[in-house]
Amino acid sequence: MSFLESTLQGFTRALSRSLLSEQVAGQPGILQQLDPRVRVVGIFSLVIAGVLCRRLDVIIALFVLATGIALASRVSPASLAKRVWLVVLAFTGVIAFPALFATPGAPVLSLSRFVITAQGLRTALLLIFRVETAATLTTALVLATPWTHTLKALRSLRLPAEVVTMLAMTHRYVFLLLESANQMFESRASRAVGRLSGAESRGMTASTAGVLLTKSMDLSHDVYLAMLARGFRGEIPLLTEFRLTILDYAGLLIFLFAGGLAVWIGR
Amino acid sequence: MHIPDGYLSPSTCVTLYLAAASGWYAALRRVKRILATRTIPLISVFAAFSFVIMMFNIPLPGGTTGHAVGVTVAVIVLGPWGAILSISLALAIQALFFGDGGITTLGANCLNMAMIGAFVAYGSYRLIAAGADLSSRRRVLAAAIAGYLAINASAFATALEFGIQPALFHDASGTPLYAPYPLSVAIPAMMIGHLTFAGLAEAAISAGMIAYLQKADLGLLQGPGTFAQSPEFVPVPRAATPSPSRLWWAVALLMFLTPLGILAAGTAWGEWSAYDFDNARVQLSSTLPSVAPAGLRKLSALWTAPFPGYAPRFIRSPHFGYLLSAMFGVGLLALLSLIAKSWFKPRRQPEARA
Amino acid sequence: MSALAFTLQDVHFDYQGIPALDGLSLRVERGERIALVGANGSGKSTLLRLLDGLYFPSSGAIEFDGHPLTASHLQDEQFSFAFRRRVAMVFQNPDAQLFNPTVFDEIAYGPLQLHWQKEELMRRVDEVLAFMQLEAVKDRPPYRLSGGEKKRVALASALVLDPEVLLLDEPTASLDPRSQSQIVDLIQQWKGTAKTVITATHQIEILEDIADRVVILDAGKVLAEGTPAQILSNSELLLRANLVHAHRHSHGSVTHSHPHLHGHSHRDHDHEH
Repeated sequence: MSFLESTLQGFTRALSRSLLSEQVAGQPGILQQLDPRVRVVGIFSLVIAGVLCRRLDVIIALFVLATGIALASRVSPASLAKRVWLVVLAFTGVIAFPALFATPGAPVLSLSRFVITAQGLRTALLLIFRVETAATLTTALVLATPWTHTLKALRSLRLPAEVVTMLAMTHRYVFLLLESANQMFESRASRAVGRLSGAESRGMTASTAGVLLTKSMDLSHDVYLAMLARGFRGEIPLLTEFRLTILDYAGLLIFLFAGGLAVWIGR
Repeated sequence: MHIPDGYLSPSTCVTLYLAAASGWYAALRRVKRILATRTIPLISVFAAFSFVIMMFNIPLPGGTTGHAVGVTVAVIVLGPWGAILSISLALAIQALFFGDGGITTLGANCLNMAMIGAFVAYGSYRLIAAGADLSSRRRVLAAAIAGYLAINASAFATALEFGIQPALFHDASGTPLYAPYPLSVAIPAMMIGHLTFAGLAEAAISAGMIAYLQKADLGLLQGPGTFAQSPEFVPVPRAATPSPSRLWWAVALLMFLTPLGILAAGTAWGEWSAYDFDNARVQLSSTLPSVAPAGLRKLSALWTAPFPGYAPRFIRSPHFGYLLSAMFGVGLLALLSLIAKSWFKPRRQPEARA
Repeated sequence: MSALAFTLQDVHFDYQGIPALDGLSLRVERGERIALVGANGSGKSTLLRLLDGLYFPSSGAIEFDGHPLTASHLQDEQFSFAFRRRVAMVFQNPDAQLFNPTVFDEIAYGPLQLHWQKEELMRRVDEVLAFMQLEAVKDRPPYRLSGGEKKRVALASALVLDPEVLLLDEPTASLDPRSQSQIVDLIQQWKGTAKTVITATHQIEILEDIADRVVILDAGKVLAEGTPAQILSNSELLLRANLVHAHRHSHGSVTHSHPHLHGHSHRDHDHEH
């Protein structure tokens, strides 16, 4: 597959993820029932618990919990497997594989010259399960929550207003620029008669990037004018929307309890 | 190079987050000083641009492809501080929304790619391109080298962070708890890929974009100062009085840490009082005459402090005595400064009603 | 309040060294609907930005409702808030104007910046959503909207503050016919009301519907003014301003060319055979 095609594929994957999020966020799963702030704090605390744990069995338990949360939030097993588990396995699995043999310790299994140690096995599994758990949790959160709610939750949790506004605007324009880049690459892919040389391909990529840059600068200039025209003077007022219910408090307690328990047992 | 959750220990993550946070804070302040209200649209849209650039597959010699961060262009157009913000925003969106990079490791990733990368790129670009005409070929070369060095610096920092994990964080049986490879493996493993493919990709995209800008929009190569010269209106925001509450919290924290002073044994050099001269412990650390000089004896009787040695006599525990002294001292200073402020406050003009 | 919404006197404006407005003078009365026409590069967008207090003239003066519109005046928060409430602009590029995460946030942005109370704000935003038929998409992000929806959101975000003056930059450009007619209908409704509407457009076909007075710009100056009927019947003027083109066509053995606009039938022209 040519570099053009793989770039375009990357773009499509990004767009499809946002569409999937819209779909999942509208379903009545357990995460969707909770206040976004509770979701963010709860999921983040479980991720932190996963990183703090020192015992493999507790981390695996957290992984099972994470999967349960994801499935109960209407994320399909197929999506989880395709978007999270296999991706992590392909990346972290490959990285962890040599550790099986390279970690000094008590031998457990010998395959001809290569010896797998108990320590190697544990360290590889620790790494893989930690990454899988964290990835499952954050994916569940992001798919079940509209991006704007995540941002508003972060803002309520005292992240500075400017940072949240910039995150929101960056996210909003990522999709516009992705589409622009998509169109530029597609038109060049359709016009590429015969294969381009390496230097020509690089030049084409660089000039597409350059065009995208000048478009971005013009866009930011126009956005600034649009903001001024609507009264922007540097302040960022907030429209408070979220209210906590009994369900939210209960959910928060459960999250924190689970995380705390995991850290305590797994210390 | 995006580090996922689980590769770095909690203490590593916290330390790197703190380092990154100070970088973000410094960058935001500096950028707002130059760009004022233009900050939000400029940094955000550029961050979106950086995000998209990071998704490009860049064809490399040998039929392979690589990804670039685009840090050199960011540094040239926005300056190093603007680049730190934009690339950090792009990394945050990647981590939060697309799962590329962990959230416990976001600080580490921003430190490596946005901050170390930006400063290495900025430094080397300025050095190599110094004095060259905006449209000269030397600038293109400078961008290529700056990009190459920046990405490798980021990779090296990442390798260091990985490599120290097994030695520092392992369980009783010697099992590494996080990244499992020591420095001797982590460094070559990371650097080989970046000294070759990733470095070349970064160099190629940096050079290519600078060459493009030289033809299409030379003004962008001048750096963030040019934005201050564009024609649009820039409102001066109402000068917000900085809230001192944060500073008071800092003072409170310092107050609670004062008992640490008790850990220091003995008396500081040159701070001896009359009775230190026949104190055996003080004699050990500094050679003093066994009898205090006459003048010192006479003058030390002049003033007796209410709480000598920060230990009020009615308090038994020295730690609590320290703390109490600290609170008393701070309270006294606060009272004095409030009194001074009310004396010197200018008389307020009645506000004109429109 | 003055009877004049805007007065411009000998306004010059340079953009990156290139003169965009070259001695432009204009008076806009309150309640007038004006169309600014001119080819691309004639200075329409620039003029609108000057009227909206986003750029300022390098020489010459602009007044809004009798007050000078200068950078130092707009630094004053009170004047700025009043001006931003009374004058609203719809930009040519809806993607630049829709910079908030959702449609609701976008429409709420203006009132929020102007410190409206929450209840009044919510009520007003719902009102505008209903008026522009945007309730179904109120929680959508802008990249999931069609071109017509984006323009309606842009217009809604300008209308939410109930401004006295509307500055519209190419409001119907690149829209499908139905969306176009929706917007034209809206501008038609403002005829004879207190709203002052200044529309920049290169689409001659809609002039009669959207304007009481047409101002032709050419090379940064006012070339001519008049009612839509007067301007549209003056084909040499239109040709000179590069607003129409000339085709050659033949009737039997006779070939001639004359300027025309698409959308008008040939029976309006006098042919000499």
